[in-house]
Amino acid sequence: MEMDNFTFGITMLVAGMGGTLATLGLLSLMMAGLGKLFPYKEEGKED
Amino acid sequence: MMEAIIAGLGGLVIGFKLLFVNWQNLIMLGVGGVLLWLGIKKDCEPLLLVPIGFGCLLVNVPLSDVMLKDGFVRTIYDAGVDTELFPLLIFIGIGAMTDFGPVLAQPYTFLLGAAGQFGIFLTLILALYIGFPKLDAVSIGVIGACDGPTAIYVTSKYAPHLLGAVAVAAYSYMSLVPVIQPPIMRALTTDKEKKTVMKFTAKPVSKTTKLLFPIVITVVGGCIAPKGLPLLATIMLGNLMKESGVVARLTGAAENEIANVVTLFLGLCIGATMAGPAFIRAETLIVLGLGFLAIILDTVCGVLFGKVLYVLTGGKINPLIGAAGISAFPMAARVVQKVGSQYNKKSYLLMHAMGANAGGQIGSVIAAAVMLSVLAGMGVIR
Amino acid sequence: MAIDVVAPMPGTIKEIIVKAGDAVKEDEELVILEAMKMENPIVAPGNGTVKEIKVKEGDKVNTSQVLVVLG
Repeated sequence: MEMDNFTFGITMLVAGMGGTLATLGLLSLMMAGLGKLFPYKEEGKED
Repeated sequence: MMEAIIAGLGGLVIGFKLLFVNWQNLIMLGVGGVLLWLGIKKDCEPLLLVPIGFGCLLVNVPLSDVMLKDGFVRTIYDAGVDTELFPLLIFIGIGAMTDFGPVLAQPYTFLLGAAGQFGIFLTLILALYIGFPKLDAVSIGVIGACDGPTAIYVTSKYAPHLLGAVAVAAYSYMSLVPVIQPPIMRALTTDKEKKTVMKFTAKPVSKTTKLLFPIVITVVGGCIAPKGLPLLATIMLGNLMKESGVVARLTGAAENEIANVVTLFLGLCIGATMAGPAFIRAETLIVLGLGFLAIILDTVCGVLFGKVLYVLTGGKINPLIGAAGISAFPMAARVVQKVGSQYNKKSYLLMHAMGANAGGQIGSVIAAAVMLSVLAGMGVIR
Repeated sequence: MAIDVVAPMPGTIKEIIVKAGDAVKEDEELVILEAMKMENPIVAPGNGTVKEIKVKEGDKVNTSQVLVVLG
């Protein structure tokens, strides 16, 4: 089944951009959580 | 005997004759020359434009067989571009070179990195509207990721006939970011917004977080968008090696030797896709134009998203940093710092912009990965 | 009244432009702070005189560390 270009374009915009925003939003929450879980301590001269 | 000698000498001049028959090759020799000039004299992405320009010369010499079956560039192309190996190998190096500290310290900047990808999808729709087939439109849109290897990865897989145009657009517009972005940033923001001072209060990120980051992104991102796993995984592998600090030799090889060798081969191959008759078409110009638009739209959407954040946070976030949510790292962040300090010398946006910029680096890869998985979900690709 | 001029971001002191006793105007460059391979001029928040310079060239500084005291 060949889908028309209009449906295709809108799907890409909604699912693609929406998916991108949602994925990055999720990752930002997870990284914020990780930052809380493992807060920065003075690690001496390790770096 | 005389005839044989004349015929033999004729073999030496046929190339010149053909040069005037195949005028497209002649033009492309000129284009190759311009690319070399830009790289050598104008210092515009020389690492890429020198091999690309030379590859373009090579393939447009009449009777050149470098890109025919078993030709030497064709062999490299089949081994590295056709298999998508080259962009992935370069990604290991990019991961090893990028410090994701600024984005990890301010996780909200991930969202700015997402907003900078809008151009991909808007351009895709525009390309469809103009009449490009679906997968061609996807490859043109991905120029808006502003990320050479991602664009090459997607295009070589789904629209290899556009590879030359897409790659040249992606890389040349990337180096034009300092020219393209500032006027858009100025036009879209009010004076008050531009002068917003942002304090940088984020604490440094712990080593554990920095080590977990590439692992989490690979696993979670990979589950969401398995089609893009190779892109995500290679950049994160490079970053894990860098942050672990225990494989300095591998990190060094990834960001120097491997990246250098692959850049040379990749550049040559891309240049070699620019053979006159196939390249000189209206389509190429349209691709270049749409790619330019993609980067403008990225900037517009990034800044507009910045304005939304400005309102939501009650004027704490300077909308200018939205422009940094693209993958051109660290150029876009520097542009933001420069524009910001023109309007308010006491404004230091660099660290925030770096966060958005590193977010844009991840964002472009995630966007490409999501796009491929959506395509697979719809059954357009397998 | 003394005003502390602090580092807006972590980085390295690349150049110190003023010296103690100099009169400076608002937005005049005091110090160049290199961060993320970019040179950032740190400017005076207001008119005043340089009372003390707390860093020297090549120093690594953290956010909010005092660089220059204006009097």
